[in-house]
Amino acid sequence: MSDPSAPVATGMRRWIVGYLFVAPAVLLMGAGLIYPVVQGLLLSMQDWAVGTPMSTAEFIGADNYLRMLRDENVQESMWVTFKFGFFTITIEMTLGVALALLLEKPIRGASIFRTIFIMPLMISPVVVGLVWRYLFDARAGWINHYLELAGFEPLIWLGEPHLAFFAIVFTDIWQWTPFVFIIVIAGLQALPSEVLEASRIDGANTWQQIFLVKLPMIRSILIIALLLRLIDVFKGLEVMLILTEGGPGLATELLSLHVYKTAFDAQQLGYAAAISVLLLLIVFALSLAILLVSNPMKSRADV
Amino acid sequence: MKSKCRNLGMVALAAALALTFSASTLMANPYEKYKGKTLVVSWPSNSHFKKAKQLVAEFTKETGIKVEIDYSQYLKMRNRQLLEMSKKDGDFDVVAWVVMWKGEYVAKGLLTPLSQFFTSPAFVDPNYDIEDIADAYIQNGGIVGGKKGYLPGKSGALYGLPFGAETSILAYRKDVFKKLGLAVPKTYADVRKAAKTIKEKTGMGGLTMRGKTGHQVTAAWLFHAAPMGARVFNDKWEPVFNSPAGVKTAEFLRETVKYGPRGIPSYSYGEASKAFLHGDAAMYIDSLKIAARARDPKQSKVVGKVGYALHPTDVQCGSETGGFAMGIPANSKNKEAAFLFIQWMTSKKADRRIVELGGDPIRISTLTDPVFSKKFPEYPVIAEQLKCADPDWRPLIPEWNELNIKVLGIALHQVLTSDKPIKPILDKAAKQARAVMKREGYYQWQSISSK
Repeated sequence: MSDPSAPVATGMRRWIVGYLFVAPAVLLMGAGLIYPVVQGLLLSMQDWAVGTPMSTAEFIGADNYLRMLRDENVQESMWVTFKFGFFTITIEMTLGVALALLLEKPIRGASIFRTIFIMPLMISPVVVGLVWRYLFDARAGWINHYLELAGFEPLIWLGEPHLAFFAIVFTDIWQWTPFVFIIVIAGLQALPSEVLEASRIDGANTWQQIFLVKLPMIRSILIIALLLRLIDVFKGLEVMLILTEGGPGLATELLSLHVYKTAFDAQQLGYAAAISVLLLLIVFALSLAILLVSNPMKSRADV
Repeated sequence: MKSKCRNLGMVALAAALALTFSASTLMANPYEKYKGKTLVVSWPSNSHFKKAKQLVAEFTKETGIKVEIDYSQYLKMRNRQLLEMSKKDGDFDVVAWVVMWKGEYVAKGLLTPLSQFFTSPAFVDPNYDIEDIADAYIQNGGIVGGKKGYLPGKSGALYGLPFGAETSILAYRKDVFKKLGLAVPKTYADVRKAAKTIKEKTGMGGLTMRGKTGHQVTAAWLFHAAPMGARVFNDKWEPVFNSPAGVKTAEFLRETVKYGPRGIPSYSYGEASKAFLHGDAAMYIDSLKIAARARDPKQSKVVGKVGYALHPTDVQCGSETGGFAMGIPANSKNKEAAFLFIQWMTSKKADRRIVELGGDPIRISTLTDPVFSKKFPEYPVIAEQLKCADPDWRPLIPEWNELNIKVLGIALHQVLTSDKPIKPILDKAAKQARAVMKREGYYQWQSISSK
């Protein structure tokens, strides 16, 4: 096939063929990813309400962005999102990894435990929201019922800012720890047994094995789990919408829920689009930061 | 697909009409012309409208006009309707709206004025008697463009007829009041006293109330603000909910949490009414819909123990006016049949039928009918209550949804869940509300009139 007398032409052809091969994927990405983002950007510079023709939308330039920078509710909601992300991701990662390490060995009934742990992940977020709303119900909920039986004062879980925040963090941990668990356990089981055996022969105890061998070896998997959770936190909406509707006050109004309310309650689609752009930038910046610190693709190349 | 089918149907119908054109003037039945047409109706999936389904079947049987009902959860209905009505060819021929949305729909040019049909004797049933429909209901749900844009007035026009409309009354536990020797509350001072006594003597919640962040807690404030003389805006659209009367109303909410059933700050309407129906609260001041549910042993543990009285007064008498009204989208292709449908559903006959089916009436003749009052003890109370129902208890302006959920709904929840002084919380919210109103151009005329 290759003709050494004409290397330039081959290079050119290879170049074109290469681009031809990636073209369908690029086009799909362009249609599915870039187009909505560009539309969102355009919308964020307009003043448009649902139910009026798009042609009547007014172009207002950066007004929405200027308003956003001064909007206390956006700031508050951002702070809530960061707080929520910090607590949920830290606890989910720790708990998920710990559970995976615990159930990695072939102990009795491990498969049953594994199935049970994965179940919350399979439930639709809307159902999760409803189930926990009833569990946390102040008057008729199970949690208060058992608190009372145990002799504690019942609490207004979804009506007190701190308790409601606790409730959404708790629900999120309940639902998403299994996700970290599955990814990590898959990674652990793929580890070459020779390495672990070698470390054991070298005299490493269980803790040393975990922290010096296993976790460093699945680092790229941990980073991916972290990234996915991070993106999810900024997208999270359904559970909060049903559980608390962002309340009490703004105590559980994550940024994405704030966008939803701005778009569909206040019907300011342009302004909502502007906040979405902010959301996108934050997720982008955080993801980039994580990838700069440790890029799973690069570490794979190093190996 | 669906619209294609309908278009074909329309063509066929037009051909049929053309053939029988000479005969059409001889038609004895006003429905005849529209026989076989299908109306698509957007309705909320609440109990009244679910029960009206049987009535719709009777309408089809009598008139030959087919009806397809599109049920959706009432809060989700607005986006759905707005989307359909803003298209060139919408799918809906009749929409039922929550009275709050009427201003927005008309401002966006999405509805058909009903005067188009009331001007034509061919459409109007001589026995319709629109005067018999409770005035508060028709003003609140149907008239748009009068004083302040949503109240009756010379600039107003009729866009809808009430269906599934409601007002607020007091429901109380007869047994509890009797046991404690308490009189039925007539004023808010009585309510306060009764709530405190009940809580302290029996441990039961005094008054139940909505309290969840957003429109729920705002609704609670509004229910009590009308009799206490508080308003959201004055006549110049300046926010005045932080006035002394407004603060007093907010104080009442805080007190209600203290002496009420557990968990009010997390109650939406469902939880608030359940607290009463499960026997955890002795009083309820909210929508009249409680009465039907209190009678239903499947939902209620207090069957036969509930009495009804007028919404208590403070500085004045004033109850809510809300619920739904039905009208015709501007882009409907079956406007005439849609009008006949709405007229039929709100007629005297249908109003009595809907009561038999378990729905809520809109006509004074139904409410005061002795046959019904014997069965439904709340009916005479409602008929009396409607005389002082307050059409201005909340501002039905397009911006209200935003103010309701994002400004008042957050500030008032702070009032419920903190001990902080109320006035500064409401002052801050008033400032935010003013910014919204300014953004929407409500103060443009002030700059001219002051010069």
